[in-house]
Amino acid sequence: MTELNRRAFLKSAAVASAASVASTFVPAVAQQAPPEGTQGHLEELRWHRAPCHLCGVGCGLLIGVQNGRAVAARGDPDSPTGQGLGCVKGYHAVQTLYGRDRFTRAMIRRRGVLVAVPLAEALDLVSRRLRETLTQHGPEAVGVYGSQRWTIPDAYVAAKLFKGGLGTNNVETSARLHAGSARTGLETSFGLDGAIGCYEDIDQADVFVLWNVNLAETDPVLFSRMLARKRSNPAVRIVDLSTRTTRTSYPADESLLHLPQSELAIANAICHEIVARRWVRKDFVDQHVAFKRGKIQIGSEVPDGPLVEEAAAAATWDDYVTFLADYSPERVRGMSGVSPARLRWLASLYGDSSRKVMSFWGANVNGSIRGTWMNNLLYNIHLLTGKVATPGNSPFCVTGLSGLGSGVHDGGASADALPSGVTGNAEDRRRAAAIWKLPADAISSRPGHHPLGMFRALERGDLRFLWIQATNPMVSLPNLDRYRRAAATPDRFIVVSEAYPTPTTDVADVVLPAAMWIEREGIVANPERRVQHWDRLVEPPGDAASDAWHMVEVARRLGRGELFPWNRERHVEQIWEEYRRFHQAPASAVAPLAVLRAQPGVQWPFERGRATERRYNTLQDPSADPKRGAFDFYGHPDHRAWIWLRPYQPAAESPDRAYPFWLGTATVLEHSGTGTLTQRVPTLHRSIPQAYVEIHREDARALGVRSGERVRLVNRRGALELQARIDYRAQPPRGQVVVPTFDEGLLIERLTLDAGCPLSGQPETSKCAVRVERAGSGSGP
Amino acid sequence: MTGGRRRPSGRLLFGLYLVASGGVAVAAGVVAVARAAQHPRSAPPGRTSVELLAPPGQPIRAEADVFRTHAGVTAIPPGGERQRDAHPRTLARFRFLRAYPGAPPRIPHGFTADEFRTGACNTCHQRGGFSPRFDAYVPLTPHPEMPACLQCHVGRDEVTGVSLPSLDPSTVCRQCHAPGAARWAEALVDWRPMAWPSRAQPGQAGGVPSITHDLFFRGNCLACHSGPSAVAEIRTSHPERADCRQCHVLPDPTVNEFIRPIPGPRGRGEGS
Repeated sequence: MTELNRRAFLKSAAVASAASVASTFVPAVAQQAPPEGTQGHLEELRWHRAPCHLCGVGCGLLIGVQNGRAVAARGDPDSPTGQGLGCVKGYHAVQTLYGRDRFTRAMIRRRGVLVAVPLAEALDLVSRRLRETLTQHGPEAVGVYGSQRWTIPDAYVAAKLFKGGLGTNNVETSARLHAGSARTGLETSFGLDGAIGCYEDIDQADVFVLWNVNLAETDPVLFSRMLARKRSNPAVRIVDLSTRTTRTSYPADESLLHLPQSELAIANAICHEIVARRWVRKDFVDQHVAFKRGKIQIGSEVPDGPLVEEAAAAATWDDYVTFLADYSPERVRGMSGVSPARLRWLASLYGDSSRKVMSFWGANVNGSIRGTWMNNLLYNIHLLTGKVATPGNSPFCVTGLSGLGSGVHDGGASADALPSGVTGNAEDRRRAAAIWKLPADAISSRPGHHPLGMFRALERGDLRFLWIQATNPMVSLPNLDRYRRAAATPDRFIVVSEAYPTPTTDVADVVLPAAMWIEREGIVANPERRVQHWDRLVEPPGDAASDAWHMVEVARRLGRGELFPWNRERHVEQIWEEYRRFHQAPASAVAPLAVLRAQPGVQWPFERGRATERRYNTLQDPSADPKRGAFDFYGHPDHRAWIWLRPYQPAAESPDRAYPFWLGTATVLEHSGTGTLTQRVPTLHRSIPQAYVEIHREDARALGVRSGERVRLVNRRGALELQARIDYRAQPPRGQVVVPTFDEGLLIERLTLDAGCPLSGQPETSKCAVRVERAGSGSGP
Repeated sequence: MTGGRRRPSGRLLFGLYLVASGGVAVAAGVVAVARAAQHPRSAPPGRTSVELLAPPGQPIRAEADVFRTHAGVTAIPPGGERQRDAHPRTLARFRFLRAYPGAPPRIPHGFTADEFRTGACNTCHQRGGFSPRFDAYVPLTPHPEMPACLQCHVGRDEVTGVSLPSLDPSTVCRQCHAPGAARWAEALVDWRPMAWPSRAQPGQAGGVPSITHDLFFRGNCLACHSGPSAVAEIRTSHPERADCRQCHVLPDPTVNEFIRPIPGPRGRGEGS
């Protein structure tokens, strides 16, 4: 499958990789015999840089490669992301390549069963069906649903093929499903996506406020870094503000429980207090902030069609103060469950001008019908106090998985985006067409389907051909049964590019074997805007190839090969050079490949040889104009950050008499996403082999349930039976149950709701209502 | 703390406090000498056999001078009771817990729900000593300064995993009477890790073995190479010598031998 023979490949990898670190880092073995099972010549063990792909931190690792196999992993001490530390997933990431049920051949479904075929035959079939669908139903009937795990080149190829080559904007990824509100939050508050600060803010902050994020399990290396900061300075305070008690709560100085959805009110209450106590940074607000009202009645449905567009109406400072009057700590106590004293104390931490504050939040905030608003409210607190874009003052959203670099560097892989700019802007379309050497009108201005919209279009029949890559929607989509039925509809053609069998490959008509991670060269960006490159370190098994390369092969068969004039060995380099042409403006410029190869990650914006640590800071960000003062929020035309007047609104589905419990979902340390990769690692699987439901001790007693016994969760959408755990890894308060999402054998998303934020398209997976009963008792679903 | 900082090894006083709880193992010089003639052998499969200094779990006379309680008393008084170690640490067990050389070990024992949630591992693993709860000497962590233990060290599932007794009454029965196998058909992994380092043979008889691992997180030699909880095959006979790296060096195996480049003609001497 590759022109190079293995020996030449190993040589070239060793020589070409600037990341081979022989002299500064001694590998773990001094003398050795050949490993069991290998014969003949023992190659030298060499270490190569690669970022981990199993959570949203993006730690730099060193991968030990020997005899063509990945055999070990270490943290890369030179990596500014992980600083030499990994977590249990990263240390075992090398084992994710070697599960025995790995797809090594292409598969076509014949008479209901997947049958192995030569890769060329599968690609021919995919191309033929794609061409037929285009002819019979037009370009809006085809789409590609990719992944947060995509590399930027994968995403770019998808965007170029579908948007440029086929004339449809139906290109989306699971990034929107899991982090969409992070993007729209930044776009509404600052005019641009992409984090403002970076991980180094952790080393500088005096106060950490964690907004419903179990950092110990979602971003363990950042959690350790935060603890290290506290150890270095005992005055540092960590506040865990959450709907449940988790591992993150224990080392925190204060653990505050609040009711689901009430974070909207709490954030406003903090701002109320900051205003009342005159902790506002008046000079900062006068110079750099504007106040806006947005649409209020936006509902709680993610529209089938285009997402709701925000419309900003100007507001004044007095409007804002009047708005905040509804959110005094006394009024917020009831809806949040947090005492006024504690709310005031929290506000005082933000308001104290001598303390630098870093706020963290993630999927529980983003996965809400008001996810965009909540992001705005968190930025509001930092904008009122002027605690943004300086070292240690950092509102920071962690996004679950890293790969695509947010809405700026996602390669153009979202429904309304191009590799730079948006499909709705004529100038952006012309630029893309020019770089792609296409006619000026080749790119459609009609936005494509967002992820839920794509599967609903599949249901309706507006979408007939769907290519799913590196993601597992048949486990991760909310209100899952609806979309499983959609995927099973006849007269739909579903292609899945994957490494392992999953419930998504179970519905595929064609499975293409995917090369994973270090089996192909790649470039990704993490939430702190750090772009990391890695070489191909080991060969993929059998016929497996990268997602990008599968798409290139299909494009060639469709007669659009002229769009992809790249050779296989150097295509990532060629893609990157082309991609950089979209980002000439300093505000989004990325480093050239030579620089990426030489360093363990380089942040964007990258301008004149310098990476930008903090944006909008006129000392650090080359796009920020110093004539505007210490900050220039150049994302908006008025060069200001916007404080949005966002009210509290209740969740789409709250507990009621029929379904009296909140149901939440959670991440566990050991597993990444839906567990496709991590379940195959024995250490990780055995550590936490199946999902369960966390339930409070008293609730369990009232139900007559003991830890380890089976219970049934029932709601409007379905029922699920699983094991109860009391006082296990995390404890929900009374009236809440929580289920982790890694287990494809226990599809919790069958119970969740596909309501969501109408602005971002991200579903409300953090909360819905259920009834809990002992298994074997009570009524059915 | 930034990673990558090499911890100085062999601090003058190790500062380790052993808690003598419920009887202390004996290390009478007489006993040690008498046993020297009969030390057990441990042979990892396919490798050279290794002579152990003492049976696993038995202290060595020299260690009595190194490990002291904070009151200054030797923690291994001669004439005391030998502690029965039900789970002596051998190299085979050490390797079994690690996916590859250098991987963080799995947690082999159960723990209470409280310990699990709060990660109170250092309570035992920073101090060492004999644990009556687990009937074993507690292995010492070479990196107690890293507080989020469960980030890298994961445990067996407390309901379906077989492990040493847990004190949590809701799980103790289920150690053996599990309610059913894990749902997932255990996917086999075609895992071929790199070989474990052979016990590095010194270049000459009586020579000094080199360090076979890097020192990242593992710069505290005595934590693993000494004491009753040390892996039996790698236990040092001379823990009282403070500066390990004076003799034991860390060679870079990727560096070739020294070859002096041949100089060109110098323009002196005959014929110039």
